[in-house]
Amino acid sequence: MPPAAATKLGYTPPDGGWGWAVVLGAFISIGFSYAFPKSLTIYFKEIQEYFSVSYSQIAWVSSVMLASMYAAGPVSSILVNRYGSRPVVMVGGVMVCTGMVLASFGKSIVHLYLCVGVIGGFGLAFNLQPALTIIGTYFQVKRPMANGLAMTGSPVVLFTLAPLNQFLFDSFGWRGSFLILGAIVLNCCVAGSLMRPVNKTAGQKPKTEPAECNGAAAEEAATADTGAQSDNLLTEENQSEGRSQGCVHRFIDVSLFRHRGFLIYLTGNVVMFFGFFAPVVFLAPYAKHQGIDEYSAAFLLSIFALVDMFIRPTTGFLGNSKWIRPRIQYFFSFAVSYNGVCHLLCPLASGYTGLVVYAVFFGLAFGMVSALLFEVLMDLVGSHRFSSAVGLVTIIECGPVLLGPPLSGALVDIFGDYKYMYYACGVFMLVPGIFFFIMHYFNYKRLDEEKRQSMAAEMRTCEETVQLKMSQDEKADG
Amino acid sequence: MTASWKQLFFQILLLVFCRHINTKTPGPTPPPLVADSPLPTDVRSAILKGESHTEKVEVVNPVNLTLECTWAGNRDKQPNITGLWRKDGEEIENSLLMVQLENEQYNLRRVFNIVNEESLGNYSCLFGNEARIDFVLAAPHIGEVRDKPIVGYVGDTAVILCKMEESKPKPSTWNWYRTNGTNKEQILTAAEPHRYKIVNEGEKTKLLVHNLTEADSGSYYCAAVYPIGTTMGHVELKVITFFEPLKPFLAILVEVIILVAAILLYERSRSKKNYAAGNETNDQSNTLTQGENNESEGSSSMRQRKV
Repeated sequence: MPPAAATKLGYTPPDGGWGWAVVLGAFISIGFSYAFPKSLTIYFKEIQEYFSVSYSQIAWVSSVMLASMYAAGPVSSILVNRYGSRPVVMVGGVMVCTGMVLASFGKSIVHLYLCVGVIGGFGLAFNLQPALTIIGTYFQVKRPMANGLAMTGSPVVLFTLAPLNQFLFDSFGWRGSFLILGAIVLNCCVAGSLMRPVNKTAGQKPKTEPAECNGAAAEEAATADTGAQSDNLLTEENQSEGRSQGCVHRFIDVSLFRHRGFLIYLTGNVVMFFGFFAPVVFLAPYAKHQGIDEYSAAFLLSIFALVDMFIRPTTGFLGNSKWIRPRIQYFFSFAVSYNGVCHLLCPLASGYTGLVVYAVFFGLAFGMVSALLFEVLMDLVGSHRFSSAVGLVTIIECGPVLLGPPLSGALVDIFGDYKYMYYACGVFMLVPGIFFFIMHYFNYKRLDEEKRQSMAAEMRTCEETVQLKMSQDEKADG
Repeated sequence: MTASWKQLFFQILLLVFCRHINTKTPGPTPPPLVADSPLPTDVRSAILKGESHTEKVEVVNPVNLTLECTWAGNRDKQPNITGLWRKDGEEIENSLLMVQLENEQYNLRRVFNIVNEESLGNYSCLFGNEARIDFVLAAPHIGEVRDKPIVGYVGDTAVILCKMEESKPKPSTWNWYRTNGTNKEQILTAAEPHRYKIVNEGEKTKLLVHNLTEADSGSYYCAAVYPIGTTMGHVELKVITFFEPLKPFLAILVEVIILVAAILLYERSRSKKNYAAGNETNDQSNTLTQGENNESEGSSSMRQRKV
């Protein structure tokens, strides 16, 4: 059942056609954004020996890259609001390429921090935001499916980059590999060229048509509108569109901080990200700590990545179904809580089979949350303001994402046992999950109320305009 | 006076004869070398279950090593069985003896004097013709050494690392060699200080080769020196020019440019077609009346909504 929010966007999103090519482009961009920093860790050992630095100093390269990627979110949002997705993605691709090529000539570790970390991180940020934003402009009805498919890029690209990086390293050493990786990442420009700006003139319908009123009222009564929040704000926006178009959409939309749904999402996510990535980072070390050999521990990660890869489109498909789509926030809350429960039960897993079972369930949970992460934000704020929203969310999430793994590592060092870290991560995910459930219950109630009120108001204005028209016709006839 | 002279005579006789009496210590070793200072002793034992068994023994310093073999015997437990010691497949002289069955077991034990690299090897104790236990005596093996070639670039620096496992004893020193044809030549940093640099840090060693040239490609050996001997690790260095990775880089660059151009050109041609078609439909639709327009738009929007 399609929400009728499409009518208020001012155009009908294609929900197909070139949209699937855009999903492919977003797949590539998102894939590189998430998988690239993780795949570089293969080179760290040799670079560490080459520059004679400690392991923590080389790990900073990855952290700086991730931090730049998240911190550049607002910059990316501003540029997307101003210029659209395509130029920003292409510039991003060129930036990462330049960063990697410069890094391959690097003479010191600081050189790497700047080239790979800062320039590369900014370039990846210019890939991530626009890719997510453009999906919202092309899809409305099939948006969860499109989002799920696009987010599958991350595990797929990681899966291909990992052995590729090893091969490049054996053939060319780290310098040559960085040079060639710079070229490979230039394929983001190809992804960018696929991101054609959506044709807003096709399917355009006037917003205030008296003949439509009866039909509109009947339709809206029949459909269960979930993007109602975005609807209400968009009607307000449309009224002040002429004025606000210049100010709000040129820069970042800070009025989002008064948006109920956005605030719920932000608070929940900030707490959740403390415990989101750490279990992935520590899966292999935990397995080795249990006495499992290195190859089997690495195999656990492969199982996790494979399950993740297949669950993301499935989640997208489920999110699109008519039972879940209207109340997709509950689905997301369930996914987050399930993650928490998974981590809390992990210390009970014993032996290799126990860990394999945990890896499978964790892969399911991680994939579900990842696939829905941006879909629920789009659902809350509408694709109109999504670009600004995601920019603000990423820069605020920067802190927990960076602090999460080191804090968990500190927990492991203090207690000497991994189970306390898993308990902590489980709590960090279960609490936001329950928080989401409760808050969204109230939010949906409020949204339904607001919708009823706005529908009643619209009915009144419709009747008035119909009466006005009828009197005009009478006058014309008479 | 005669009695004291007799005592002296007997004492002299005793002295003369007692000099030739040797106390037989168990298992005398028949090596040509005799150690000046007493060597430390160590015992290694193994129990055989089944056909054969191999035991790895790590030796760092010269030692008097006692090797013990115990065998439970086979089904028909004979009271006597032949016992034999071998080194590297060759029988050790005078080592053949008969072993008695004690407490349902056969026992063989022998002390070996391990002093230099030649003493290391594969020592085996054999019971009859059936049971054998092997003791492989060797200096600690180098734990971490790269098995795939290290890639370096012309004009750049290469860093070759050899690392002993932390649980194993640290070598006294490290040496580096590189092959020159068939010979192994030691790398001496004093000879070429601006080209080679060796950094020894206990259990790991690093060889830095500056200003690489293609002639520097080849095999390098790191040698961990222990009092008992040295163990070697082999690393291969491959020096390439910067043009090697540049070729795939340019190939991928060309591929990206072609794809981007193709996609943008396709879009340009599509939009031109749409524009031409759009003009035609605009002309057609302009002839419709306002009411018809509203109707068709209303019905089409309702159709869209029903989707």
